[in-house]
Amino acid sequence: MSKQSNRQTWAHPWSYREGTIITVAILLLGFALQATSSGMVLMVARFPLNLLAGLVFLGALIFLFVFWQKHPAIKWLGSVKAALPAILGFTFMVLLMGFVKQDVAPETALAKLLGLNHLVKTWPFILINLYLMILLGIVTLKRLTPFNLKNAGFFLNHFGLFLVLFSTALGSSDMQRLRMNCYEEQTEWRAVDNSGKVFELPVAIKLLNFNIDEFRPKVTVVDNQTGQVVLNKGKNQFELLDRNSFDLYQYHLEVEQFLDASGKVGESYFQVNEPGAAPSAKVKVTNLADRTEVSGWICSGSYVHQPEALKLNDQHSLVMLPAEPRKFSSELNIQTKSGKNLTTTIEVNRPFKIDGWTIYQLSYNTEMGRWSNLSVLELVRDPWLPVVYLGIFLMMAGAGFLFLYGKPKNGGTEHVA
Amino acid sequence: MEELNMWLDFPIYASVAILCWLGASGLFLSSGKKKLNQLAAALSFAGTIVLLLFLTVLWLHIQRPPMRTLGETRLWYAVFLSGIGLVSYLRWKYKWLVSYSLGLAIIFLIINLQHPETYDKTLMPALQSPWFIPHVIVYIFAYALLGASSLVALRNLFFAPTEKTINGPIQMADNLVYLGFSFLTLGLLFGALWAKEAWGHYWTWDPKETWAFITWMFYLVYIHYRFRHPAQHKKAMGVLAVAFVVLLICWFGVNYLPSAQNSVHVYSQ
Ligand code: HEM
Repeated sequence: MSKQSNRQTWAHPWSYREGTIITVAILLLGFALQATSSGMVLMVARFPLNLLAGLVFLGALIFLFVFWQKHPAIKWLGSVKAALPAILGFTFMVLLMGFVKQDVAPETALAKLLGLNHLVKTWPFILINLYLMILLGIVTLKRLTPFNLKNAGFFLNHFGLFLVLFSTALGSSDMQRLRMNCYEEQTEWRAVDNSGKVFELPVAIKLLNFNIDEFRPKVTVVDNQTGQVVLNKGKNQFELLDRNSFDLYQYHLEVEQFLDASGKVGESYFQVNEPGAAPSAKVKVTNLADRTEVSGWICSGSYVHQPEALKLNDQHSLVMLPAEPRKFSSELNIQTKSGKNLTTTIEVNRPFKIDGWTIYQLSYNTEMGRWSNLSVLELVRDPWLPVVYLGIFLMMAGAGFLFLYGKPKNGGTEHVA
Repeated sequence: MEELNMWLDFPIYASVAILCWLGASGLFLSSGKKKLNQLAAALSFAGTIVLLLFLTVLWLHIQRPPMRTLGETRLWYAVFLSGIGLVSYLRWKYKWLVSYSLGLAIIFLIINLQHPETYDKTLMPALQSPWFIPHVIVYIFAYALLGASSLVALRNLFFAPTEKTINGPIQMADNLVYLGFSFLTLGLLFGALWAKEAWGHYWTWDPKETWAFITWMFYLVYIHYRFRHPAQHKKAMGVLAVAFVVLLICWFGVNYLPSAQNSVHVYSQ
């Protein structure tokens, strides 16, 4: 690089110096714009304006490349000397996001001014993103020829990333993510977005049945004085009640009876099947230190029942924690404006797609747990998704090329102008 | 099986593996004899198999893939790192690299011996997906490859590059980075496809995602720098060493960053 140092800045051919200046200028301009627009949250225009803007952008890139590809500035845009500072500038923005908590209310005036808590929707992020897309676009066009196997790998990686950036940026405003609260046996067609705005949807959903499958509850030993879990160094602090006997801390437990849904009558618990019934267990606990035995019931409690702990001695008590869900699912009847009428079951990781909407199982009334009569669904519409996926698949294929061909010999500079 | 507490058995498996690996490293570093090198390779392999056996038994016992806690991911890392060390020995005959990777793998086992993590059979519904295993395996494999490349980088930071190291270890660092980076990219993309299935969006800039992305960017810088400046070995090795620090932040450090409270995704303690 020493031979470049007597070249005047901005005299061609440009190098890292110009790349750094441009990248820093873009970030500074971005932050300045952000500061003057006083905490504005940026949004891209919606369909069809975003599509139009995208096509104009693509057209401009191709036009630039076709007519000025010999121009040193365009050549430079397709070089590592422009790419490295740009990638580092983008990394800087992402690093900021890595250190400053996102999507929360800003704590300092500076964070508010520069939008540090919602960086993805700020000017500097969008501008550096746009700059990266220009570089990626130019370098992709540049390496389309000669069309050979080596350049195919290059194309997959760079054009794939280009498509992903392009479609997520333009598609962000067309994506809708709405929450719908469905109560058992009621039909719902309204849903709210993050800001609380209500939408009426072309699909009506009736929750036929909400179902939770739970793990057995865990037990642990707590200190009577502090209520804290007794630290069980080197061993488990919690044990799942899925076996009839095991050791926990300095105690040996034998589970004499386990009821997954029970109510208390007098001093004992009985299996019942009514809302609010809670898991309980009759256990016999032997203190391994002094061989004393205690037995009795423990219960994790619910929105109806008090939890019950078992006092083991002056120091410790045994408690049962609320059971954790293994799986929750909703049986839905779905009717659409387009005339479809069907019944299906969704669960976490198993959404259902209909008429451009994808319906996800999101949550339920956690207070009521397995007796919840509410299922919270998320409805997502993302018309740009196929383009994003195309980009992702191209990049996956590109990763395959990296894996198979590895590093080009001598860095690879000999293959390019 | 009933009363067996798997993590209590861990010290036995871990000790056997550590002994095998110590023996292997000792033999690799001390001897020049072919027979002893073969014995060392066999010992190194035996240690890896013992750990794999433990992972299998653990998997069966807790009835979910053992990939959720930091302690569990360290086990996989030790397995892959020792495996990669051995394969690269068989392929390139670098004895010092096997010894370094075995050393690093031993350190991970010792960390686990000091902090036996609680094992927990419950797996939240969002993690119950066919994507879970490929996503984590591909990532840990990438980390292990990139970790090995950084060992090479560190070594070469302290010695001036010579004809021999350039055609040998430095070139190998590049190969490891390209392999590791392709897995890292796949891990990132698998994660995006899975997130879409589970949460409705492929990328939410959750702190773990953000740091995974930063890690990816640093290796991307390395690849591009290397492409344009194939002769600047020292600087490239420097970039590689820094990238590894970022990788470690992503893996362990994220849990401690203020920005990561309530992340869905940090490996639980
Ligand atoms: C972030 C935006 C990116 C920019 C601006 C960029 C830019 C560049 C540039 C200018 C070159 C040199 C090409 C030449 O001189 O002909 C290059 C090479 C390369 N890039 Fe990128 N790149 C980016 C992302 C990526 C990604 C995501 C990957 C891989 C997944 C990647 C992998 C490579 C590889 C492997 C080379 C070596 C070229 C070869 O194998 O022929 N780049 N990149």
